Order: sequence, then structure tokens, then C-alpha cells
Amino acid sequence: MEVLWIGALLAALALGGFLAGRFRALKAAGGDTRVLHSVPNYSGTLVALSAALPAFALSILLAAFGVAPAVLWGATILAGVIGFALSLRLIGRDFRARNAVEAVIKGLLIAAASLAILTTLGIVLSLVFNTIEFFRLYPLTKFFFGTEWTPSFGGGSELGILPLLWGTLYISFVALAVAVPIGLFAAIYLSEYASRTVRGAVKPLLEVLAGIPTIVYGLFALLTVGPFLLSIFGPKGPTAAFADGGWMHAGTAVMTAGLVMGIMLIPFVSSLSDDIINAVPQALRDGSYGLGATKSETIRQVVMPAALPGIVGAILLAASRAIGETMIVVLGAGAAARLSLNPFDAMTTVTAKIVSQLTGDADFASPEALVAFSLGMTLFVVTLGLNIFALYIVRKYREQYE
Amino acid sequence: MSDASPNTARPVSRSLHHVDARTKRRNAAETRFKALGIGAIAVGITFLVILLSTIFMNGASAFEQSFLRVPVHLDAAKLDKKGNRDPADLKKATTFTYAPLIQQGLLDAVQKAGIETPLTKSGDMKNLISSSAAAQLRDRVLANPDLVGQTVTAEILASSRVDGYLKGRVKRDQVAQDKNISVEQLDLADALLKAGILHKSFNWDFIFGADASDSRAEQAGIGIAMLGSFYMMLVVLVLSLPIGVAASIYLEEFAPKNRFTDLIEVNISNLAAVPSIVFGILGLAIFIQFAHLPQSAPLVGGLVLTLMTLPTIIISTRAALKAVPPSIRDAALGVGASKMQAVFHHVLPLAMPGILTGTIIGLAQALGETAPLLLIGMVGFIATNTPDGFWDGFVSPNSAMPAQIYEWAKRADPAFYERAWGGIIILLVFLLGMNIIAVVLRRKFERRW
Amino acid sequence: MNDMSFTERAVANTETKITARGVQVYYGENHAIKDVDVDILDKTVTAFIGPSGCGKSTFLRCLNRMNDTIDIARIEGEILLDGEDIYDKRVDPVQLRAKVGMVFQKPNPFPKSIYDNVAYGPKIHGLTRSRAELEEVVESALRKAALWNEVKDRLHAPGTGLSGGQQQRLCIARAIATSPEVLLMDEPCSALDPIATAQVEELIDELRANFSVVIVTHSMQQAARVSQKTAFFHLGHLVEYDDTDKIFTNPSDPRTESYITGRIG
Repeated sequence: MEVLWIGALLAALALGGFLAGRFRALKAAGGDTRVLHSVPNYSGTLVALSAALPAFALSILLAAFGVAPAVLWGATILAGVIGFALSLRLIGRDFRARNAVEAVIKGLLIAAASLAILTTLGIVLSLVFNTIEFFRLYPLTKFFFGTEWTPSFGGGSELGILPLLWGTLYISFVALAVAVPIGLFAAIYLSEYASRTVRGAVKPLLEVLAGIPTIVYGLFALLTVGPFLLSIFGPKGPTAAFADGGWMHAGTAVMTAGLVMGIMLIPFVSSLSDDIINAVPQALRDGSYGLGATKSETIRQVVMPAALPGIVGAILLAASRAIGETMIVVLGAGAAARLSLNPFDAMTTVTAKIVSQLTGDADFASPEALVAFSLGMTLFVVTLGLNIFALYIVRKYREQYE
Repeated sequence: MSDASPNTARPVSRSLHHVDARTKRRNAAETRFKALGIGAIAVGITFLVILLSTIFMNGASAFEQSFLRVPVHLDAAKLDKKGNRDPADLKKATTFTYAPLIQQGLLDAVQKAGIETPLTKSGDMKNLISSSAAAQLRDRVLANPDLVGQTVTAEILASSRVDGYLKGRVKRDQVAQDKNISVEQLDLADALLKAGILHKSFNWDFIFGADASDSRAEQAGIGIAMLGSFYMMLVVLVLSLPIGVAASIYLEEFAPKNRFTDLIEVNISNLAAVPSIVFGILGLAIFIQFAHLPQSAPLVGGLVLTLMTLPTIIISTRAALKAVPPSIRDAALGVGASKMQAVFHHVLPLAMPGILTGTIIGLAQALGETAPLLLIGMVGFIATNTPDGFWDGFVSPNSAMPAQIYEWAKRADPAFYERAWGGIIILLVFLLGMNIIAVVLRRKFERRW
Repeated sequence: MNDMSFTERAVANTETKITARGVQVYYGENHAIKDVDVDILDKTVTAFIGPSGCGKSTFLRCLNRMNDTIDIARIEGEILLDGEDIYDKRVDPVQLRAKVGMVFQKPNPFPKSIYDNVAYGPKIHGLTRSRAELEEVVESALRKAALWNEVKDRLHAPGTGLSGGQQQRLCIARAIATSPEVLLMDEPCSALDPIATAQVEELIDELRANFSVVIVTHSMQQAARVSQKTAFFHLGHLVEYDDTDKIFTNPSDPRTESYITGRIG
């Protein structure tokens, strides 16, 4: 309710400011508004903005720091009145109210654009402080080189990241092994062979896959793909004869999560590759056809090598997606941290453990909860590196053909 | 061709009307390559079909629910011992008082219908009836105390086992170890179905109702979570549209080419690719740990999703602004408008359809996002409370549609899986609707300059 | 037209390489080529001239069925190469294009090494049996394209790193390497500077010894300098086809005269 009243106060300040500013401008004009530099509404707006904006910013800041309501109210009112009074004094016949208002608006636009920097800063700060806190409680080398992940809130946890990284990379690898060939060949077909109608119909259909929320893929992995794989590779499946008791022991596994994540990434890979293949100049294709090359020879030997850097960039972006994906692995990969080569084993990932360490009733000051921030830091650094590198490659590639 | 190509091994004369062996091989390779492309697309579309049909086949049943039509005698001697129908006194009768009445009513109905069954005690009926039925009946009586003493025909929610049996989820051969239902009770359910006492009807409670506890899957609904999502989307819309448009206008129309602008650009393109879970960490650390905003509140969820969606919205808004030809700006500047006026009066209105399309698509993305919500505590509890008024909706703990689906997927009773799939259908209907609006907007206002 | 210098242009060969009869080309609704008949001679440079959009490039692209790659293009009539209909159902355009090579307006070397650019054609058509043989073919093609001396020390440098004129000669070498019988050139000098143009023109004159060359050009001077036969296209019609000297000194059609004197075009 506090928020409502503060809001009402600010609105009142703004309205009062508008009317007062307008009135003062009209008075200065002495009935003929043409003598003014700016239309009176700009004077009104300026006073309204000066009264409400600083007060608004101050109240948010104070509220975020959790000061007492009395202080909050006092400071807000004070800021509003000061802004009101100072700006009202400026209004006069030759005062350039429009320019002043535009300067304020430009300031707001810059502030909005700077939010991107603030967000990044927020992410970095929230990760860094908690990570430092974590390393005060748990040795850095054990975190980065430990091969055991056995958190227990009673103490004596082993919090080595290696099994989690292994699971993350293994699942991402399976996902890319599914998505890259399918996505790439789909893109090649759509951009080089398909007629306009086929392209117009197939492209949106594939993109539906990209629009489906990841929770849906997670559920699909947990309830459909997992049991299906288990029925084939599990102890009761036809492949059980090859391995004692089958390769797969539960529905959640690297294969389950990787396969489903691969499906999710197909449209990602295909639409990025499609753009990149289309950027290869037609002249190169003509040159190849003119020599009597078939379409597939042209694609394999001319178009693909020309598009390769861009496609590598696209694959890196897809890899970064796979590494950062959460819901599919939370539901489909399992909970056990394991360093195993068997793709039908349940393993877990960095993202899944961030979720599990922060959603329990954990004490946020314990290493078992704080480790999630170090995991997040690792994830952020890895994906950021991949993204920057991939975007750099793709940009270089585009410049080459512009 | 005598001296033309001394270095090549090609025979001098070849007829074009004879396709040589090598060309045939090359054409076969061509066909194979093309088939790979078609195959890839076929696989992709097959996956889509499998995914959608799985969702539909598993989720459709959530929209139907089994009910028992039972005449219940509301025994005044048990419910209102003082006999004055005073609501305060009526409240003293707990659900434990109501449950036997319903069971007795069902037993009476069974006997009246002439069904032969070894189950002859009213307690035997317990497993057929949802444990929430008593509470529902009690609420009905409290709302209308005059019912006490009468026999009312009530639509009683059947238990989740009976519901599952009717929907084919619970199989007769599986119930041997199940203490919540027996084969005799399933036989009785068959007979009740035939007698018209047990029936299925559309499950409005699933769409509009609240979540229920672990043991009452038959009562769980997604309505409250839908409200939570609604409040979050409101926050996202109110914040991300103006901020996104303002940032885009600055970058597209005013920003000088300098390092600060570059820094913003780099940040936006990178934020667009930061994993969503990292935004969850940001929300947890900044909004909850630092700013002490309430945990599990749609307000916090909305703030996190706003930060996550902003890059998407900024990217599409800038594209929309870029599509407005410079001649419009020149025309406005030419009649003496300031740069700011040119942008706000002329460029922005023309770009608006494109901006709205991008915003709707950004909102759709935010609506389906789950991972960051897990970290700010929008799961792990039973979302049952309707917020008290509009403002309370932002700050009182709630779930959200995708978080509710996740919650159901994690529960032990498979009866919740049907709810999870059903929840997905509702979520996808919303997403489909939003995308259709975006497409229509784009079609309707599409301009070719 | 006094600045035009005519080279020695005795038409050495009178053997017909390509015969076109009643060729019509449609791009969707647009009738681009109207009833063209022409006989193109072997070991001769034939120039196609005419104003922009007259159909000369379109007709050129019919000769090796490059128009097949455009979905909406439709061709009627008959084009014979050594007496064989190239639009016959049995003809594989891939085989045809090995016989009828093409050089394009803008140099379009593949983003590969110089060597791989030239070796591409022989490799896909399987023209050589050994590596040594392939190297020989590449060298010979580069020599014929008058590029060998400039690139022999950097055969494995990327082809895109060459200058514009060198790139175009590389593309000619690439086309020669499949040992075609006809070489089609679509305004091969339009993207080149005058010095590079002179080099390529000189090359075209040399190529006449081995190939039948068809060149589309915007520049009448170029047609006069390099060709023995000239065809003038206007609005999709082949207006006049004759010895180059005759076309430029004594055209029989008034439209040709208008064009070469600069009144249309």
C-alpha cells in the first residue's frame, strides 16, 4: 500500500507542477503565447518532470535500501518540492522550455539504454560477491579440480565441479550431435533446393519447435523420451542381451536430455545456418554451375567452405544455448553427479545443480548454497566467452561478403 | 580439337545424348544428398508432430474429470447439534463429520441402484471419493445453512484412482499393492458408471481452480498459477515496453558513435544470449537478498523476466525503427520540428506495429520461461490462495503456469502428470494466441516503403 | 566510330559449332528472347552486342543451360551443339556445361587457393587420373589464361587475394581447365580497369585458336577489337548477325546503325 501512496504523491506533484509551470508561462506571455520561445505545455511538462522524477528515483533508491517509512516520505516530499520550486523559477518568456524538456527526455532515453549495462553489472556483482564468499568457505582448487560432488547440508561436502562440467559437456555434445546434422541439412535443403512454397510452409513449422517453452521439452524428456529409451536400452529392452542388465537403468539419462535438447536446437541451428548460407553470393554458385558442377557438388565444395566460418559461429551459439539450458536437464538428466562414459547413465549438469542448491531450504550462508553462485559464475563466463567468440566469427564472416 | 587439350585424358568426341557412367554416379550422389536434406526436414517435422501429439494425447484428459452424482442426507443431528442453524456453530462440524455422510450417501445410491458388490460398509466407499469432497460439501452447507436436514444431490469429485481408472491410467492388474484402491472398488466403479452415478464432465476447476496437495491430484487446477503469470506479464509489459522503446530510440536515433554506445550494444547482444538461469541468480541476489522484495512474488518474477526480455524487445524495436525511411525524419525536420519531435511524432507511430509485434513475441517468451522462477521461489509450495485484491496479486506468493507444470512434474503421484500435460496445453494455447496476434498485427500494418 | 581498330579478322573457320533455331525464352510472363536463329562458328570469337535488357545475356545463358537454375525461366526452340540438341531430355546439363564453359561478369573465384580454383573442374568431372596429371592440367590452364607467370610461386594462396584482372583470368583458367569446346563470356571485362581489360582482350584473341568463344559485351569498341562475328540484339530480337567488319562499317538494318552510332542504347 505504501507504494500506492507514494505513487499518488508523485502523480500529484507532477500534475501540480504541470499546471503551475503552464500558468507561469502563460502569465509571462501576457496573453500572446506567440512571444514565448516554447509552447506553454512544455513549461508545464518541465516543472512536472523536475518535481516528480528526482523524487521518484530517490524513493526507489531509499526503498531498495529499506529505510524507515518516515524517512522515505520525508525525503520524497523534500525532493519533490525542491525540484518543483527550482524549475518553476526558470520559467519565463525567453526560457527554452522545449529544449530543457528534450534534454530531460534524452537523459531518460540514455538511462533506459544504460539499463543493459546495469543488468550485466548486476549479474556480475551478484555472482562475484557470493563466489568470493564461497571461496572463503571452500578451497578454490578443490572446487575446480575436485572429482566428487556430494553436497550434504550437515557439513563435510565435496563440491568438485568436474563431474558437473562433464555431464554438461556430454549432454551438450549429444544435443549438438542431433541438432547440427539435422539443422544443417534442413537449412541446406531449404535455402538451396526448396521451392518458395515448400520453404514458406516448412520454415515456420520448424520454428514452432523453437517457440515451445523449455519446460515442455523437460516434461517430454521426463515422461516420454526417458521411458521410451528405457524400454529399448533398459533391462527389459531388446538390447539387454548385449549388456548385463541393460545399459540404461532409469529414464533420466544423458541420452534422454541430450536427445530432447537436440530437438529443441534444430530450428536454432537451421535458421542461423539458413541466414549464413543465404549470405554466400550467388556468383559463387553460378561459377560452379558454369563449370558443370552438380548442385550437391556446388554446395559441398563451394558454398559450404565459403559459409564455414559462419556455420562454426552458429554451432558455437547453439553450444552456448545447450550449456545454459536448464529445464530439460533438471527434468531429464538425473540428479547424480557422475563421471561416466555411458550415455545411458544419469548425470547432472551445472545448471541443474544451481537449481537444486538454491531451491532447498538451504541456509544461504552455507557453502552448499553458495556453491551455486560459483557454478553460475562458471556458467556465465563460459557462455559469455562462447557468445563473444561466436558473434565475432559471424560478424567477420558477414563483413567478408558485404 | 586436335591441339586444344593435350593434357587432358578426355576422349575427343562425346555425344551429349549419352550420359556417361561418371555423370550417372554424380547424379546419384546428387539424389542422395538431396534425400539427406529432405530426410532432415522430415525428421524435424516428425519430432514436432510427435511432441505435439504427445502433449495432446496425454493432456486432453486433464480437461475431463470424474464425478459421482450422490444424494447426501445432511443429517441435522450430526451437523447441527444445537439445532439453531447458527453459522458459527455449523463451523464446528469438521470435514470428518461430512465424509461419512457422503460415504453413506454413496452406499445408499449403490444399493438403490441394485448393484451387487461385496462392499457393503459405508467405509468401503471412501476410496472412491476424493478427500476434498467433504470440504467442498462443507463449504456449500456453510454458505447455505438451510440445507442442513435436507437430502441434497451433490456432484462429488471422484478419487484420483477412480478418475485414472476411467481414463485408462490406472490398470486393474496394477492395483494389487495399491492401498488406495482395490479391485472390488474398481468393479464397483464400472457398475456405477453403467448406472449413471459415476460420470465424466468438463473440468472447469482444472482451468480456474487452485493447486491441491500431493494426495489430491483430482482437485488440482492451474487457475491460481495463471493469475500469477498474468501479474508477471503485467509487470513485464509495463516495464519492458517503455524501457525497451526508450533504449531503442536512443540507440537508433540519438546515440553518437562512441565507446559508451559500443558498450551498450555489446551488453545488449550478450545479454540476449545469457542463460536464463543466470537471470534467476540475479533476481535472487539483487531483488530478494539485497532489496528484500518478497520471495515467490509475481512482482519479482516480473522484474527478472523484464530484464531477460529487454534485449529481445530492444533488438526487434530497433529493427522496426530502422525500417522507417529517413525521408520521414527529413520531412519532419524540414518543417521545423526538433529531432525529438520528429522521432516521437512521426517515426515512433509508424514503427509502432513492428514494436508491438516484437513486444508480444518477447512476452510470449517470458510467459514460457521457467528456470529463473525456480530460483526466486515460485515453486515448492501449493499455490492455493487467490490474491486479496489487485495490488496484493503482485506481492503475495504465487506460482506461474510453467512453474506449476514443473511442480506437478516433480510430484510422486503419476496422476499429476496428466495435469502437467494439460497445463502445457493451456500454456501453448496462450502462446499460440499471442503469436497469432503478433502475426495479424504484422500482416495488417505491414508497410512496403 | 573512327577510333575503332579492326584486328586481322579473316574468319579462319567456317565450321558451325552451335546452331540455334527459333529460340524463345520466357521469364514468367515476360517474353525475353523472341525467335532467335543463329549459327556460331568454331574457333571464332562471336560478340553479342545490344542495349541493356536486350536479351543478349539471357541468350548466352541458354547456350549452356544456365537458365535451368532459374525456376521461372522457360525455353522453346532448338539449340544444337555439334548437331546434338542440348535441350534433349537425354542431355544432362552437368555434362553439357563441361563442354560449354562460362566466365561471368564479375570475377567470382571460389574462396579457395588458386590451385584449387583451377583444379575444381577437372576434379569434379574426373578428368585426370593422377595428381601429377592434375598439376599439369592446372599449369596448362593457367598458362593459357596468361596467368601462370604471375601466380606460379603462390599457387596455394587464396584466389580472392588476386587483383581484379588476375581474378578474371583465374576464372578463365578455371573454365579452360575442363577443356571445354565453347567458352561463354558474359561481359567479362565490365568490372575491370582498362589495363586488366586489355590483358583479358588479348587473352580472348589467343583463346580463339582452341575454342569457340562467345562474348557478351556492352562496349562496341570491345566487340570490334576482339570478335570476328557480331550479333546485334534489340528488345529480345536478333536484329543482325554478320562479320564484325560488316556490322560496324556497313550494317544492313537501320536499328543496328542507330545503335552503333549511339542513337539507341
